Amino acid sequence: MWTSPNPERTIAVAMRRCYSTKAIEDIESELELKGPEYWRYLLGKALQDKSLDVLEHFVLTLLVEDMGEADVGLLIMGFPYLRVTHLNGSDWMLTLNARTLVELWRDPRGRSVAGIIVSELENGGVCPIFNELAFGAKINAS
Amino acid sequence: MRVKLLYHTDLGAIKKVLERKGVLFNPEAMMDHVVYMFEIEDCSRVTTHQLVRHRAVSYDQESQRFSAATKEGVVTPPSIQSNEAGSKAYDDALKTVYSAYEQMVAAGVPKEDARYILPSAIKTKLVMTLNARNLMHLVWQRTALQAQWEIRELATAMHKLAHEATPELWTKMIER
Repeated sequence: MWTSPNPERTIAVAMRRCYSTKAIEDIESELELKGPEYWRYLLGKALQDKSLDVLEHFVLTLLVEDMGEADVGLLIMGFPYLRVTHLNGSDWMLTLNARTLVELWRDPRGRSVAGIIVSELENGGVCPIFNELAFGAKINAS
Repeated sequence: MRVKLLYHTDLGAIKKVLERKGVLFNPEAMMDHVVYMFEIEDCSRVTTHQLVRHRAVSYDQESQRFSAATKEGVVTPPSIQSNEAGSKAYDDALKTVYSAYEQMVAAGVPKEDARYILPSAIKTKLVMTLNARNLMHLVWQRTALQAQWEIRELATAMHKLAHEATPELWTKMIER
């Protein structure tokens, strides 16, 4: 339904905020100038150092179709930072941040849902650098 | 202090999907899904200590381990500014503290250790991301008259920006 704009740059902004005394506009200009390869470097470092807090600024809101109430319940109980609202029938609105997505991916209870979300992001070309670094090779949507 | 809204959820995109699914837009149901990312500059660490008590929020704050502190970068409360004796005591204490900090750094003490002497008045910068429900709670608590002046100023600025960005969610809130 919606994701934070320019996800990799948003994560990079959060990282630079920690280590720079500059005004946010200067940080943003610097990141724009250095481009996606620098964002990749910063994101890679965050993942490598397990500094996953910076991923929390990249937020996704998704429409989940054909999911039973019991499965949704299990998901919420396992991952308390997920936000879920029932829409109608077996449709749900799900909001999570990229850190929770990584945690879903790494946990057998969340892996299949995470796989579907990552495929969706992949298909939409939303955050190719993040997908590659956090989840490895492309996921087969089928 | 400066507060900037870096991004917020696009309600138009959400509504489009809801419409396609035949679901009415209900602001109350959207509170957990609409998010805001703010950048805050030049508020004191006194205020960020209060801010981080709101825990269902993502924060990333300027590190004092790596950035050098200067005595110009402090917040002076109005009650001290307007009090001649208080103001003198405040300035004298700051001079002593910053002189000690600079001496320690010059002597080779790492910034991350020298910072132990720095005051809570020091200015800081941070980004924070939170959803509308948590922002509303923060605004409700921190714009109360019992709240301290600086965090009240911050919460008021955040409220204004969120209200301008997503008025449909905020019109229902009881204005103070």
